Amino acid sequence: MQIPEIKSEYIWATLLILCYIIPGIFPLNTTFPDSATTTQIFNLIQNLPNNCTVVIGGSGVFAFDLESSAGTIPAIRQMAAKHIKILNVPLAVEAVQFEKYLIDAAKIETKYGGDYVYGRDWIQFPYLAGTPGSLVAFLNDIPGTCPTDVYGTPLSQLPLGKNLKDYKDIALWICPHWDFPTIVQYVTGERNITSVSFAQSAAYAQYGPYMTAYPGKVFMTNGFLGGAQYERLMGTNGLGHAVLDGEQIMGILFVVFVVLGNLTYFTRPKEVKKK
Amino acid sequence: MSATLTFIRINLAKLLLLIGGISALLTWYFTTPEFGTVFNTFNTWNIDITLFTLFTGLIVICMRYFRGVREKTPGIWMFELYGLILIFAWIIMGTIYGMYSDTYQTIFLSTKITLHIAILGQLVFFMISGAYRTFRLKSLRTVAFALSAMVIIFMNIPFVQNGWAGANAFSYWLLNNPQTGGARAVVITGGIGAVVLGMRILLGLEKGPSRVTEA
Repeated sequence: MQIPEIKSEYIWATLLILCYIIPGIFPLNTTFPDSATTTQIFNLIQNLPNNCTVVIGGSGVFAFDLESSAGTIPAIRQMAAKHIKILNVPLAVEAVQFEKYLIDAAKIETKYGGDYVYGRDWIQFPYLAGTPGSLVAFLNDIPGTCPTDVYGTPLSQLPLGKNLKDYKDIALWICPHWDFPTIVQYVTGERNITSVSFAQSAAYAQYGPYMTAYPGKVFMTNGFLGGAQYERLMGTNGLGHAVLDGEQIMGILFVVFVVLGNLTYFTRPKEVKKK
Repeated sequence: MSATLTFIRINLAKLLLLIGGISALLTWYFTTPEFGTVFNTFNTWNIDITLFTLFTGLIVICMRYFRGVREKTPGIWMFELYGLILIFAWIIMGTIYGMYSDTYQTIFLSTKITLHIAILGQLVFFMISGAYRTFRLKSLRTVAFALSAMVIIFMNIPFVQNGWAGANAFSYWLLNNPQTGGARAVVITGGIGAVVLGMRILLGLEKGPSRVTEA
């Protein structure tokens, strides 16, 4: 018996219905195991001294990196609970907008009912063009490289900005962007600052070697799954939980369609295979 | 172009690369404030130059689009016109509202980012229909390729991880060992290549980044 080829339209329709429409209407509430690395990151932030300064920054932004946002947003809320100061350092053009989105989505500011005040508890720096040179300059001399914030206000006029000098003021670097290797190289490798990446799953698979190269200094979460694990540690539901139903079905369908494709191939007559 | 001007253009670029590269190299070995200041000044120049190139890029692309629209380049002029309208619309919005205002952010999120998310969201459809057609076990290579992808994806499904406690560990073992070995080889190779390229630039042997036409 020969199994016919499935048209792409049917594959697309199956995915649309099973991965998007059905979980959207009837959530499956997918359960998932914990990850030791995600828990380590949670504990690392939990054990940071109150009122220390953490940088959120990097380069490489795709569609506001929803995979990265899944873990970064609860981490910002965790830091806000400890009154940790946040410096947003965008090393890519769109990173300015992305980092604003992260702060807005975490709802830590007073306008959302939180207690974070701009200038006192967090600062948004303007786009620093020319990575990695600009990153090195920032680490070596913060006010010299970035004399103003994104609004053009001199750092000396901001309560948080006036005391910033160099990388020694930074307790942790969080990279919610794609280009984590640059951060590992200049922030962790050269200046021994611990770095965390709330990574996209593709970045996690690609940059895994950095975690083994810098044990205890470089940490990564794994895409939406890592984000969902972090949300659970924080006791909240967010982007990570919202996507896992679809992601789970997508994983199953991937395997099913590859098996189907091979059944189609192996049930073909030899002449057709050769052709 | 006169021979003198060509000589200056070629050697000025090399000289600047040499000074910039050596200053970066020296700060690695000599941590005096003087070296640090020189290096940081170059880095600040680097920021300024990169920002200037963004501005130059904007002018160049606008000129190209203007020309395309004026000459009505068949098939693409309407897209160039659309691009021009968008460029100026965003510049005007950014100037009026400010790049970091809530209004600008809402417009940015509702248009550019939403479209970007939609485009990236289509990847899963292409990926699975592509895998259906290409991950066929025709040869040893395709067997290795298909099985690697299948195992990683299968072991990462939360349903599988919950059903078999070892799946998560096995998946991470695959990522942290065989995958890490391969990825590390790529990273080290790239690093060695970067060192060689850097040395060639410093020695003036690399024509690529400092290429100047003789004409």
